[in-house]
This record gives sequence, C-alpha cells and structure tokens, in this order.
Amino acid sequence: MSMDKIPNSDSGKKMNRLNGSLAMKPPGSEGSGLIGRRIGIAAVWLFLLIAALFTLFPIYMALLNSVKTQGDMLTNILAWPAVPELGNYADAFQKTRYLRSLGNTFVVVAVGLTGIVWFSSMAGYKLSRTPGKLSGFLFGLFIMSTLIPFHSIMITLVTISKELRLQGSTAGLGLLYIGLGVAMAIFLYHGFVKSVPKELDEAALIDGCGEFRLFFTVILPLLMPITATIAILNTLWMWNDFLLPLLVLTDYKSYTLLLSTNMLFGEYNNDWSAILASLVLAMLPVIILYLALQKYILHGIAEGAIKA
Amino acid sequence: MKRAFCLLLALTMVLTLVSACSSGNKGNEPKPSPSQTAGSGVSEAPKKVELKVFMTFPRFKDQFEQYFDQFKEKQLAEKNIDVTIQLEMPNADQAKQILQSRLSSGDAPDLFTLHANDIPTYYEAGYIADLTGQPFVGKLYEAVAETVKYDGKVAALPMESLSWGYLYNKTLFRDNGITPPQTLDEMKAAAEKLQAAGVKPFLLAFQESWIPQLMMALSLGGTVSASHPDWIEGMNAGEASYADVRSVFDIIDLIMANGSDKPFETGNEAGSADFANGKAAMWVQGPWNAETILKVNPDMEFGVAPLPVSNEASDTMINLATSTSLALSPKSANKEVALDLLNYMLDDKDSSALFEELKFNPIATVHTYEVFPWVNEASEYVSKGKAYLDLKLPNGVTDEAAKQLQSYYVKDATQEDVIAALDKVWRTAVKSK
Amino acid sequence: MTSRVWKKHAMLLVFVLPALVFYAAFTLAPAFGGMWYSLTDWNGLNPSYGFVGLSNYAEAMGDRYFLKSLWFTVKFVLFMLVLQNLLAILLAVLVESLGRGKVWFRTIFFMPNMLSLIIGGFMWMFIFTRVFPYLAEKTGWMLLDQSWIGDPRYSFFAILALSLWGGVGYLMVIYIAALQGVPKPLKEAAAIDGAGAFHIFRHVTLPMIYPALTIGVFLTLNNSFKVFDSVYALTGGGPGRTTQVIAINIYEEAFSFSNRYGYASAKAMILFGIVLIITIIQLAIMKRREVRA
Repeated sequence: MSMDKIPNSDSGKKMNRLNGSLAMKPPGSEGSGLIGRRIGIAAVWLFLLIAALFTLFPIYMALLNSVKTQGDMLTNILAWPAVPELGNYADAFQKTRYLRSLGNTFVVVAVGLTGIVWFSSMAGYKLSRTPGKLSGFLFGLFIMSTLIPFHSIMITLVTISKELRLQGSTAGLGLLYIGLGVAMAIFLYHGFVKSVPKELDEAALIDGCGEFRLFFTVILPLLMPITATIAILNTLWMWNDFLLPLLVLTDYKSYTLLLSTNMLFGEYNNDWSAILASLVLAMLPVIILYLALQKYILHGIAEGAIKA
Repeated sequence: MKRAFCLLLALTMVLTLVSACSSGNKGNEPKPSPSQTAGSGVSEAPKKVELKVFMTFPRFKDQFEQYFDQFKEKQLAEKNIDVTIQLEMPNADQAKQILQSRLSSGDAPDLFTLHANDIPTYYEAGYIADLTGQPFVGKLYEAVAETVKYDGKVAALPMESLSWGYLYNKTLFRDNGITPPQTLDEMKAAAEKLQAAGVKPFLLAFQESWIPQLMMALSLGGTVSASHPDWIEGMNAGEASYADVRSVFDIIDLIMANGSDKPFETGNEAGSADFANGKAAMWVQGPWNAETILKVNPDMEFGVAPLPVSNEASDTMINLATSTSLALSPKSANKEVALDLLNYMLDDKDSSALFEELKFNPIATVHTYEVFPWVNEASEYVSKGKAYLDLKLPNGVTDEAAKQLQSYYVKDATQEDVIAALDKVWRTAVKSK
Repeated sequence: MTSRVWKKHAMLLVFVLPALVFYAAFTLAPAFGGMWYSLTDWNGLNPSYGFVGLSNYAEAMGDRYFLKSLWFTVKFVLFMLVLQNLLAILLAVLVESLGRGKVWFRTIFFMPNMLSLIIGGFMWMFIFTRVFPYLAEKTGWMLLDQSWIGDPRYSFFAILALSLWGGVGYLMVIYIAALQGVPKPLKEAAAIDGAGAFHIFRHVTLPMIYPALTIGVFLTLNNSFKVFDSVYALTGGGPGRTTQVIAINIYEEAFSFSNRYGYASAKAMILFGIVLIITIIQLAIMKRREVRA
C-alpha cells in the first residue's frame, strides 16, 4: 500500500517531468510518428513485462510450491494446490529455529550498525574538519582498505576472532562487522560533512560548547541523510552476508537466519516443500522492509554507489 | 561546568568502548558447568545438564531423537539428572568441515561421530578421549572392537560395522536372469543384457561427493588387497603411485558408462528413492542405506555383492569396515553424563531395538535381533575368505578422491589428472604428519 | 599556539580512535597478517610454522585447480561485465521512459537485490532441477531439460543467470539516478533538431551517464571477481571443481580438510593483486574517456 504512494512524492514528480522524453520518437511526419510511438511504447511494455516475469518467477514458484505437499508438487508444479498445505511452514519454522535465528540476525546487525554509525560519523566528521598531515594520513589509511577483497583477509580474520574469543558469538560477529564496515562509512561521512557549513561549529564552540556536545547535539542530526544511506547499505550487507557468519558462528544456536536456512537445505536435501517454506520465511522480513521503505532504500543505494 | 560535562561524556564514551571490547573478549570464556553450579546439596530438584551431540546421520534424526528421549527419562529416574540434548546433524559433505572447525576452536561437542579411519589423526590431536574400560567395550564383538582401537586403547564406540559391496535389485536381476557377476567381463555382459532389456544397470547419485567416492573405495580396496599388498606402504614411502593401480578405473568406467542420467541432481535420498523404485539394477552404495531405501519401498528386495575389479573371480571381494563411530571429547564439561549416553548406545535393554530399526549390522552381544538377509549374503562371501579390511588412507585422500571422481565423470579430469591429484594429496598428507 | 595544535591533534585522535581500533583489529591486522602467513607453511591448527619464502606463490602458479578457477572467474567476470551493464542500462532507459508503472517495475527489478544470493540460489536450484524438467516434459521444449547444475557447460550459465537476476537491479538503480540527471532541455533541443530516439540516446544520454557507467563497470568488476555466494549455493563449485571460482578455491584450501592457511593466504594475496591492478587500469581508462566525452 505504501508502495505506490511514497515514490509519487517529490522524487516521483521529478521523474514524471522527464517522463516520455526518452520514449521512441522516430523521425518522420507527425501522423506516422504517433503510430510508431504507440508501437514503441507497447514494445517497451512487453519487454519490461517479460523481464519482470523473469525476475519474479523464482520467488513466485517458491511461494507456490511451499504450500504444497511433495505429491502435489510432482503432479503439477505450476498449479495452486486444492488445499494449501501450511504444515510445511510449521515444519520450516521449527527446523530453522526461526525466532531464535531471526533474533540472532538482529543482534548481529544491531551491534554492527550501532558501532559503524557511531564511530565512523565521529571519525569522518573530525577527519573532514581537521586539515594537516596526520588527518590526511589517517584518512588514507582508512581508504586504503576499500579495495581489499574480503577473501584476502578472511583467513587471518577468522584466526584473530578465535584469539579474541569472538568466535561463536553473535555480538562478537557484530564487532567484526564494525571493523570491516567503518572504512566505507567514514568515506561517505567525510564527503558529506563538507556540505555542512563550518560556521556552525565555530558558533557553537564560541557558545562554550565542547567538542563532543557540539558533535552529538549539533552535527550528528545534520548528518541524518547520509546516516540513513549508510544504515541502509550496511544493514543489507550484514543481513545478507553469508561467508563471515559461516566461518565465525560455530554453534548452530547462534546461527543467523541465513545459516539456519543453509543448514536446513543440507539436512533435508530432498524435501523441497520444507526448504521452499524456509526460503519464504527467510525472505519475509527483507521483503516487508523493502516494500515499506523502498523509496528510501532505492535512494540510499543510488546515493551510496555514486558517492563511493 | 560545561567543560566538566563534556569531559565526562568523553570519558564514558571511552569507557563504553573499552568495556564493549573487553566484554566481547570475555564473553566466551568457559562458563562454570551447570553441574558445578546447580543442585548441589538439594536432593529434590533434578540437576540440569546440557549435552551437545554432533552426528552425521541426518536421515536418522527422528530415530536418534527418540532414543535420546528414552535416555533422558532414564537419567531422570535413576540419577535425578535433567538432561537436555542439543542434537546436530549436518549432511555428510559439510559435516567434517563443521566438526573440524568446532574442534580446532575449542568448541567441541561432548559427543561426536567420526569415521573409524580418522581415529588416529583425531586421537593424536587430542580431540578424542580414551574409552578403555567403559562398560560398552566388553559387549563389543572382538573383531569390531579391534577396528576402533588405536595405540592399544579404545578410542570410540563403533556404530556401523559393515560388510559391503554394491547393492543390487534382486527382482530386476531375477527377471533378467542375472546373478551377481564375479569378473569384469561378466559385469560388462550383465550391463549389456540389462541395457538391452531397457533397464539402467547402475544408479548414479553424485550430488553428494561421498557417494561416487565409494566406487574408488571398493575398486582400490579390491585391487590393492588382491594384487598389490605393498602399495600403501609404497605410497607412504613416496615410492608408489596411483598409476601402479590404474586398473581401478576399469570398473569405474564401466559403471559410469552404464549409469543413470543427471547424477549431480540426485542426492542420497533421491537416489535411495530411485533405487527402491527400480530405476536401476545396481547401486554402488552400502547397506547402511537400507533403512532409507526400505522406507520408500518396504517390499524392495535387494542384495549385497562384491564389486568385480578384474577378470580374476578371486579378486572380487567384500569390504569389511567400521565407518561411523561415536567419540567423546576429552574437554566435555559433563563427562559422566556423556559417558552414560555413550554406554546407553549399547544398552542391554534398548540398544537392540535401535540398531534393528536403523537396519545396522549387529556389533555387540546385546544385539539379539534377527540378522538382515543382505548381511547373511555378504557373510557368505566373508566365510569363503572373499573379503578384505577397508584400506586406511591418509587424511584428505578420500575427500580428494571424492572431488576427483566428480570431475572425472564430467570429463573435466582425465585418468592422468586423477592420478596426479591423488598422488599429490597423499604426499602432502604424509609430509604434514 | 603549539598547545592549540596539540589539542587539535589530540581531539582528532580521540574522535578517530574508536573506529581506528576496530579497523586496525579486523581489517588492517588481517590484511598484514595474511601477507605474512602467505610466506609460511602454517596449517591453521599447529602453533608452530616455518617461513617458506615465496614457495606458496610458486606453488599457486603451478596449481592446476587454482589456475582453472582463475580462468573460470575471468570468464564469469567478462560475461557479467557486458551482460549486467547492458541489461541494467536497457532496463533503466526503458523504465524511465514509462509514465505509469515506472515505480512498479523499478520495485520489481530491484527486489532480488534485497535477498541474499544464498536464498536466491536455492530458489533457482529449485527452478533448474524441478521446474525446468517439468516444463520440458509438458511443453516438449527440450532446451530446458539439461543438467543445469551437474553439467559444467550449462551450470556456467545457471550461475550467470542467478548472478544477473540478483545484480542487474542494483546497477539499474544507479543508471536511473544518472538518467534523471540528464537535463531535459538538452534532449528537447535534440529532438527538435530532428534527432531520433537512438540518436538522442547515443549522443545526449549516453555521454551524460558516462560517470555512472564508470561506477557500473567498477562495481561489476569488483563484485564478480569476488563471487562466492551464488556459486556456493548452486553448485558448490562442483561437480568436482569444474565451477570453482577463486573465492571458493581459497575457501576450500583454507577451511576444508587440508587447512593450509599459509598456502590459501598466498592465493588470497594473488586475488588482491589482480583486483587491485584491474581496478587501477579500469579507473585510469574510464577517467580519461570521461574527460574527453
């Protein structure tokens, strides 16, 4: 419901202004142009509909067959069952320890996100405001790592997390994410802070406010737009990350949703009804979040990519 | 004043940071075991104990859960201990890796299964406890007990003791007038006959790499035991090569050429279902799968026969092995309860029913159920001396063979590639000892 | 004066320290640690290990499976580079040309991007192993009836399809953002001049989205070289090692039974080197063209 409303607000309007300007407008007389244009638009719709079908097909099939028995699935994989079989969901819910896994995922993301936003906003702000060699060096140090592939550091990272006894704990995994995520976030904050007028800092400082209060009461609220972007990007990353949790969370009681789903897939290899139900359950939180916040998410994604 | 406030703020922040770090560090330090904290003295409240059990039997999850429930009742009644059991059963291909990372990170489950061939490595690494003198040891058949001994000590409780070869569908064999072939040529003829009758000779279920690996286990086992007795020693000394036993590929080629379609989309369960439904006449798979097969088709008649590896009928032998065994972690915080559970696996009263239900071979004197027909069939070969003990290969060789056979099937690896890769991993394993 | 400078630096450090501590522990230390381990024969468990110089690197260069995974990855990257950007631009342009329905399409195309490719991979596995054979049987369209997961010739395309499914939406959003930055008067002027849609696209729109193209190519290169999830979920790198990408090869070397951390670290450093070189080259080229355009 919110889906078709939100995007029609300002960004939607902006797009509407551009609307049509890119549509096929073949050269030639007005009359044939109109027909050509119609055909063009029809072709565009057709193409997009096919592409949309392709995109939604796996999700639809998963949903469809998750409410069937194995037998129904074999007779007709495309049809809706006469009686929806919801037992698959009860099964999957229990086998993936759904609530517990969901809770674990929340803990990881909450710890990671809090740390990333808190620490990198401070660092990004100060690095941007302080000129000098030290500042430049530190900033360079952070930026340096953004090119390093995760696989190049994962082996030693796992060893370190073992040494620090972070292995096996969801909060520990969150802490690892802080260390992995701050660099990019600092970069984004660093750029954004430049658009915040310096006069604000000075005025506040003259008022006798100290650095920390200035930052937390005046600056941080002004960074809200980029904080939102950073929050979205990092939440998506941590929520959907598979390899690091796989390596760090050794005990299935601390498994994230994704790991539990993967585990179920391994254990019940042939039982597609339960697997598909668990996939739908795993998708559910993300899809809900997406449909509710899709305008902000799409904006955040574009923003993050273009700035970075 | 303001300055003081800000200082305070800064201080708290640093403190939270430090405490966040250190709490992260301390979070996982071994907690006092429940047995030390709870229920000391008070006679009424049952002591609470939690056990972590790691097993590679996803297909038997229900049976084991039920068996553990019986154990819980027993403990509560006899010792006033309230046991919770965290049972974890990953699939066979992932299990070793998961277990390995648990053990090396000091997060060992109290009890876990491992392949009997891995006992030396695990024992040397200090991952498994000495079980000599436990009540279950006296119940084991002598021959079975030998397979789980290392350095004179009993290192694990054997769960599966096997005499195995390949499985065949007795009905399909009878209908086509075939008896289990004893030589390579006979096998070839049988396959042709089956093909001509429109029956797929071999079922291939290669999705899980341990299943194609069984072909190598049998053909290498047969070949080495029959005609290359010094080969393993030679390999360990770096003087032999898989090229010396190249004939192991003869039977593998024959099976692959006469196998069912889309093997990589068929896992163990799907394969069992296909075999039970007569989609193919033979399957290189052990009788440990009996329960899974008979669950799909209880009337299925299958037999166990030795896999021919050459044209000498005497080379065609049954493989004797102890595969999955249950071990105790020396680091277990609740060793007593864990040992009770371990011994309960061979309980005088309950064990027989469990092993019968799982369709395992009897391994101890407490197993009084009637022996399954396929076991008798294999035993006949054994009594004629047509049997050998499963080869003990160094760590990692079996896993590599599993990958290589998958590649070999899709023609991504030639015989030469497979030989080179297996030689290499053997060398690496010997070197790292 | 000096005390003010000192204070400023102290403040800077206080603000940066928390981030720096975590960053140093979990990014810098592993990076340098990895470089060190790549020169040793550490097996991940044994407390003692020896320095072996560059022999791990030499071994990797002669490691058939590592080189194969490298080649497989390069092939994958090339396909992704072209297909993903082409599709994303096409979708962006077409979606932007719509009036009503634009929001719907954008929402749909981006949706797979919200999901983990592990989840997506399992869903596609179902499509490939269950739905396609069924469709082939019913429609007689035998093209669908392949061993999509088990035959390396086809599983390459299965992996590609999954990756495109999960990745195109992301780039599309970026291209849409770029398209919205193209000033309308420019296009109108071109249209009045009698330029066709294609001409407008080629000479007005394309140059304007060039910066976005740089981003798109950069992201595709970076992500495709590191591909792991989609391969892990669909084929696990198999059958055998036929669909192994670099990331899976490293993972297997380090965390499967052999546990050769030192050797795996060397492979990981090689991956880093490749990504670094390619990124530098690519950025240099694109930046130069951008300026000219």
